[in-house]
Amino acid sequence: MSPRLRHVFRRAFRSLWENAYLNSVSAGVIAATTLLFGVYLSVQFNLNKMVDTWDRDIHISAYFHPDVPENRRFDVRDEIASRPEVIKVRYVSSESANEWMQARMPAMEDILKELGSDTLPSSLEISLTASAARPTAIDSFARTLSVTDFSDVDYGQEWIEKFQGFMAMLKLLGAIMGSLILVAATFLVMNTVHLVVYNRKEELEIQKLVGATEGYVIAPFLVEGLVQGLIGSLLALGGLAAVHRLLVERLKDAFELAVAADLQFLPSSYIALLFAAGSVLGVVAALLAVQRFLSKVT
Amino acid sequence: MIRAYHVTKRYGDVHALRDVTLKLGKGEFCYVTGPSGAGKTTMLKMLYGAVQPTEGKLLVGGVDVSRLSKRRLPYLRRNIGIVFQDFKLIPTRTLAENVGLALEVLGTSRDVIDRRVNAVLGIVGLRGRGHEYPPTLSGGEQQRVAVARAIVNDPSILLADEPTGNLDGAMAIEVMEILQAINLRGTTVMVATHDTGLMNRFPFRKLRFEAGRLVES
Repeated sequence: MSPRLRHVFRRAFRSLWENAYLNSVSAGVIAATTLLFGVYLSVQFNLNKMVDTWDRDIHISAYFHPDVPENRRFDVRDEIASRPEVIKVRYVSSESANEWMQARMPAMEDILKELGSDTLPSSLEISLTASAARPTAIDSFARTLSVTDFSDVDYGQEWIEKFQGFMAMLKLLGAIMGSLILVAATFLVMNTVHLVVYNRKEELEIQKLVGATEGYVIAPFLVEGLVQGLIGSLLALGGLAAVHRLLVERLKDAFELAVAADLQFLPSSYIALLFAAGSVLGVVAALLAVQRFLSKVT
Repeated sequence: MIRAYHVTKRYGDVHALRDVTLKLGKGEFCYVTGPSGAGKTTMLKMLYGAVQPTEGKLLVGGVDVSRLSKRRLPYLRRNIGIVFQDFKLIPTRTLAENVGLALEVLGTSRDVIDRRVNAVLGIVGLRGRGHEYPPTLSGGEQQRVAVARAIVNDPSILLADEPTGNLDGAMAIEVMEILQAINLRGTTVMVATHDTGLMNRFPFRKLRFEAGRLVES
């Protein structure tokens, strides 16, 4: 390492130590901002994943009339299975549907038992090829199913489309809110760094007088900003892990929903993004603060 | 070493310097003197690039300060040592760190800094006291540290703005003797002062300013 770089790092770490309180405040603000960003990323990541799974699972549920005899149900299943746009057809008996429901919602087990095993209608779950699962195609396919055999035909495409619209809105809102939070955080960190700069005002003025370039004066603050950003991101990651764990446990306890177990923590690429965001926030805020100060020094 | 051609400095309507033309050779020692508000400090500030002339041309060590960009300014200052009346030392840094600062900004290695700092602290009579902090020193000692910092990178010009203004007689003489010794080593020294007693004791060329005009050269 060159002597100049060594001086820069020595001064940066010395200042981090000497202005520990102010630097902690900066790291705290970065942590809070990055945590909010992390929560947003987490929500978006899990919702995207959910939509992805649903997209893959698009199928038609066709519910039989209760008076359609069982052998007729199998004939209908075989007829539908022979169509080219159909990948798979699964017959779900009334009993299986009841069991599935009990397993999915244990809290309702007693009620379902009391109602009897034939409460839910038997049905066919029809998986279609990707082209047949498109909104217009799936609609046409659903119309070909006999109304005399089925009491109801259900496919969630429309709902998923609405949900995707909601996701797009969420992304837009997230981007707007994120930008506002980022500006506020940059301002807060910048002002905290400004206090550190004022603490070292004399030293910086003297450095300029003895021939230090702006780069040399600014560099240690950028290192400080980077360290604050990394510490802030690390704290945010810890906070995010705690929130994730708490959320999964609470959802399980409160609703006994299997969906809680599906909530995933951020993958490594998102974690890297979180660290990058924290670091950039620290460095940019430091740069703006020092430049504002240096513009006033002759 | 220093040449000024019809240099004028105005702050709004106020003239700090008016049509100053002067020449100072390499290794010369001179005083910039005159009453308060005569333009002494403005003249020195212009020489180290803190302010730029409104009119005229100012050359310092061959560099045209009147046209110097902000980016080039640090390189001019590396060739100029500056001493202030209020010492401008960092109270939370040791004497060695204060003096070494001028070498740190040049990217000098720690070994060389330590060697040079010890040498200049010796020149100003503070050998072996590099670990002390400025607030524990007398005014005269603090000013000697400031002088050490100004000469540690061996500049060709030393500017001192009222270097004895905060010091009593004996301490002022000590500092002047050090400045004289530095001048004898070939450094051009320019001292702004209005202390006539000191100028009589150490007689050198005088640049006398009055109301921004150079009236005696």
